[in-house]
Amino acid sequence: MQLDFSIILNWLPQFGSALLVTLETTVCSLLLGLLLSIPLSLCKISNIRPLQWFAAVYTSIFRGVPLLVQVFMMYFGIPLVLPVKFTAFQAGTLVFAMNSAAYISESMRGGINAIDRGQYEAAMALGIHYPGMMKDIILPQAIKSVLPSLVNEFISLLKNTTLIASIGLVDILRVGQLIQSRTYRAFEPFFAISVFYYVLVMGLSFLGKLLERRVNKSDRR
Amino acid sequence: MIDVKGLYKDFGSLHVLRGVTLHVDEGEIISIIGPSGSGKSTLLRSINLLEKPTFGEVWVEDRLITPPDPYLHFDVIRASNTYKAMMAAGGEDADVIRKIKEGDLLKEKGFFQKKEGAAYQQMLKKIVTDHFEDTYSVRRKVGMVFQHFNLFPHKTVLENMIYAPIKVNKVERDKAIEKARSLLESVGMLAKENAYPDTLSGGQKQRVAIARTLAMEPDIVLFDEPTSALDPEMVKEVLDVIKRLAKTGITMLLVTHEMGFAREVSDRICFLDEGVLIEDAPPDIFFSTPKSERAKTFLDKVL
Repeated sequence: MQLDFSIILNWLPQFGSALLVTLETTVCSLLLGLLLSIPLSLCKISNIRPLQWFAAVYTSIFRGVPLLVQVFMMYFGIPLVLPVKFTAFQAGTLVFAMNSAAYISESMRGGINAIDRGQYEAAMALGIHYPGMMKDIILPQAIKSVLPSLVNEFISLLKNTTLIASIGLVDILRVGQLIQSRTYRAFEPFFAISVFYYVLVMGLSFLGKLLERRVNKSDRR
Repeated sequence: MIDVKGLYKDFGSLHVLRGVTLHVDEGEIISIIGPSGSGKSTLLRSINLLEKPTFGEVWVEDRLITPPDPYLHFDVIRASNTYKAMMAAGGEDADVIRKIKEGDLLKEKGFFQKKEGAAYQQMLKKIVTDHFEDTYSVRRKVGMVFQHFNLFPHKTVLENMIYAPIKVNKVERDKAIEKARSLLESVGMLAKENAYPDTLSGGQKQRVAIARTLAMEPDIVLFDEPTSALDPEMVKEVLDVIKRLAKTGITMLLVTHEMGFAREVSDRICFLDEGVLIEDAPPDIFFSTPKSERAKTFLDKVL
């Protein structure tokens, strides 16, 4: 069989807008996930039992159920029992965000626990209240140690967004499927998609490294 | 200035402090010494409530900073049902109070609770409304310097200095910076204002930590083994800073192993052993003629 990569060029406009959908979903999910992970990790380290239980149950659900099932549940299932309606984008983003919040909060908990007791004591001795202590003293240090796993989470999030093709959103994968069904060619589109993702992930890893180096400037001796 | 009354602290089954009573006047410099595990740090940390005492009270500037301890108030004891029952059974007032204070009742949390009656509850509540001060405002008046400095590693020296004054004392940023710079100058660290703590030596970190504590303008400074984590050649630079501070008339409590230093700067030496304060004397008397065998043995070992 003759390979013909010119079809990719013909579909470039579609790929372009699909790429935007992929990036949009990833970035929105990550930001929302990050936001959700902070109260969730605070629940995990708190002394209040019900909060701990809530966070533990939450995490176990999002870890224990396959992501695709979660996406279907949110898009098809939930609107049937609750008075809510999601677009495919909303449902996808929400699930990815809640899912990564579960994972991020887990590594965040580890990062917080790794912080020296003395940091809390110094903050308390200076009369700093709990919210300020967490926001300005503890979390900035914890996030630093969590950054590598945060970059990992970002990368797997980016790759997981392909699942939104299954609820009808036209992301990069969906464009590939369209090309396949129109032209009966599979190698070229999926090869192109693989390259897209590979380049994106490499770019992200690089950015992550840069960010880590920037954040670690206070460690320079 | 500071009144520690009948302080007990248990960590599980370990009795770290066993009835410590200590009075500190304004401007006094007190060194707390004793073998390791004697409860020195725990006593110090009770004064800014980094440790919550099991029993007893701590008063700072005539304000009660711990929950009231009924055992320290005869009138409260007299209002309790336990006391009334013991009196009704034919006791003498002094005798019953002694029994309650010495008895195993001290270990019974039930004594604080409802079964002692409304009058008793009310008297405890009145002590709280009249005298209690919340932990955060106490900590603004009582600064602490730690053995391991505990500077915030993600903030520069200057940021370390100004964070709490701005956040907690609501000082304007410009004023806070000005104050921070003059304090850094006084501990010889102004040149490092933009450095991160991890780039500093131990002695430098501790000098910054002392300046950071002073930036809050505390009335009392607690030093918890400030030189114990330092390399020997850096001990002197930190002690010099503390000595200069001692001359400013600020009230200080130090837990230290530097005996020569304690002798030089202190107004009183408090010797603690197994959670009991067994000597409280001016340094000359303590170091030349200690009263107790324990102190003698200890001094023989460390001097």
